[in-house]
Amino acid sequence: MTSIMVVDDDQDLAEMLGIVLNGVGIEVDLVSRGDEAVEVFKNNPPDLVLLDIMLPGLDGIEVCRQIRKQSVRVPIVMLTAKSDTHDIVKGLEAGADDYMVKPFKPSELVARIRTRLRRAGGEISSNLTIGDLAIDIVEHTVSRGGKEIPLTRLEFDLLVALAKEPGRVFTREALLGEVWGYRHSTDTRLVNVHVQRLRAKIEHDPENPTIINTVRGIGYKAGTTGHRG
Amino acid sequence: MFVPRFFRRSLFRRVFLVSGFISIGIIYFLGSNLYGRITDGIINEKINASISEAQSAIQYADYRFIVTGVSSEKDYRSLISEIVKTSNLSARESGREVVLLQSEDRELRGIPAVSTSNFLEPSSIPADFREIVRESDQLIWRKTNLLYVNGESLNGVVIGTLLSLPNVGKYEMYVLFGFDAQQRTIDLIGRSMWGTGLLLIALIMIVASLVLRRVIRPVKYAAEIAEQLTSGDLSKRMEVKGEDEVARLGEAFNEMADTLEQQISRLENLSRLQHRFVSDVSHELRTPLTTIRMASDVIHSARDGFDPNISRSAELLVSQIDRFENLLSDLLEVSRFDAEVATLSLDQIDANLLVRRCVEDLEIASKGRATQFHLSCPADPVMLEADSRRFERIMRNLLANAVDHSEGKPIHVTIKENEAAVSISVRDYGVGLSQPQIERVFDRFWRADPSRSRERGGTGLGLAIAKEDAMLHGGVISVWGELGKGSNFVITLPKVSGIAFSDFPLSEIPTI
Repeated sequence: MTSIMVVDDDQDLAEMLGIVLNGVGIEVDLVSRGDEAVEVFKNNPPDLVLLDIMLPGLDGIEVCRQIRKQSVRVPIVMLTAKSDTHDIVKGLEAGADDYMVKPFKPSELVARIRTRLRRAGGEISSNLTIGDLAIDIVEHTVSRGGKEIPLTRLEFDLLVALAKEPGRVFTREALLGEVWGYRHSTDTRLVNVHVQRLRAKIEHDPENPTIINTVRGIGYKAGTTGHRG
Repeated sequence: MFVPRFFRRSLFRRVFLVSGFISIGIIYFLGSNLYGRITDGIINEKINASISEAQSAIQYADYRFIVTGVSSEKDYRSLISEIVKTSNLSARESGREVVLLQSEDRELRGIPAVSTSNFLEPSSIPADFREIVRESDQLIWRKTNLLYVNGESLNGVVIGTLLSLPNVGKYEMYVLFGFDAQQRTIDLIGRSMWGTGLLLIALIMIVASLVLRRVIRPVKYAAEIAEQLTSGDLSKRMEVKGEDEVARLGEAFNEMADTLEQQISRLENLSRLQHRFVSDVSHELRTPLTTIRMASDVIHSARDGFDPNISRSAELLVSQIDRFENLLSDLLEVSRFDAEVATLSLDQIDANLLVRRCVEDLEIASKGRATQFHLSCPADPVMLEADSRRFERIMRNLLANAVDHSEGKPIHVTIKENEAAVSISVRDYGVGLSQPQIERVFDRFWRADPSRSRERGGTGLGLAIAKEDAMLHGGVISVWGELGKGSNFVITLPKVSGIAFSDFPLSEIPTI
């Protein structure tokens, strides 16, 4: 059974989240303090973390950073009462995969959680190579010259989405649909921040990317010719 | 009065010029007055002296004629030439000339009718003056010009009287004095007065310009500081030296600037606080609202098993929570605009794609009411730099507003571009707007017809936010409307955000 850690200091909201998620067959672990969350995660790693930004003890962004240190793979979805660009970008940069602005619809939350738990590249069984990177879909790993590069699930999904069709230009909206599961969203910050994080991990020179190229005014595409240096 | 721009723009030039003209006027008036008085004094003095000298000369001549008692022509001739010459010789330095004229201009007894000294032209004595002398037994004088044979001419005075020469008849004797020496003195005085006057004017101008500079410098300085204050540098102050009026100006100015700065920072604080408050309130409301929303959803999803009243209540609960949430986020947005903390996150966007998506969304949302949309747009992507979230919100608000007021009639959406801007018009054929309504259409919470229910449950802030969103991009929303004929909202955004454009691809006045 899928288990999710919900970190929110509002007891009622946390309880309500528990009711809703239990209703769709997800096991919920409720934590109300930021510092506690890091401990709980260490002892009993969940499949996904729902994280409020404003928390007592340790704020959500810091919690996010610490959890990322322990697990690269676990999906983290931020819950925020602020739609201000600043907070959201800070959260994404700290390692969150996605965010939800309160108040959200329960159905939306469930859909988002399911997308994050889904395994990428389901329809592809073979392995992919892009540039000098080898992507193992089954093992969910990316390696360069036999050395594994740790990526978050979302970063992996993003890379696979681009690498599946090298040379195809993906608009940011298309990537939002493909990777995040949004039918309509124009919040391109999600894409921009994650592409930057991904580049920082896989590019030889993140300033002059060769694997994930920017197509000005449109979006991104995976480079067809690899850089071997 | 026409004042050239050159003088209108500078207090210094104007005051300098006016004071220059006034001092020239005064000096000219005083100078010419003084000059006239001095000239008159000198000339009158000379005339008086001349009269008494002429008197004695004439008396002497008269005496000689009588005493000599000559009767022969030869004697007379020599006597006359002696008198004429003597007079001349004895008073050379005073420039005296003597003329003896026979009253009837006849040569009597061989004595010439006209005897003059030193080539003086007899015409130096005006004819009308001779008349007066002949009629009178007094000594008569008049100013005249002394004319010489060689064409020379001198200002002077002529004094004359009638003499009776024994045995010969009446002769007129004239003594003429030139003002030569006096004229030289007068000229000298005139020249020195001109020099003094010019020097004085120059001095006055120099002093005036120095004084003006001293007075105007602080004024100019104050103007510069005031301009800097206006352009937003509130920390600028004037330097204050001394205790004079200029210093007082500086002090008053600085006090004003202080008050201004305080007021502005107070207002800024206030607006920041207000924004913080609204933002905090709305954030605080969001968490409980999330719980309520989830709870209501859980109840709503189980409504089938409820009593009809409770089931309906669950539906109302869900829809009102939606409405409440929209209102909350709109209020937060408005408070962001008010506090001027709204920022753009710009991207290259295809307007065709974005508008089409908004229309499709609305078609899905308004199914059942079946509002028809007619979209006409260029075949190629219409790229512009915009904040996609805001642009989309503008479109949603305009489209939702059109749907609300279309009365079920189709809505036409047109996209058009030129080099600098992109226009999108949303035309409906519903209730329309009157001119006074158009003026208020962007007001917050304003409704064209308060008795009309809000079918879509809009917040009343949609158009106000759309307008602010457009302004943030440097764009505009223009409106046309006529009651019964519908309305037309045209949003025009620059292709590069914030760059001004003058040509609108679409006008708000519809062609159909």
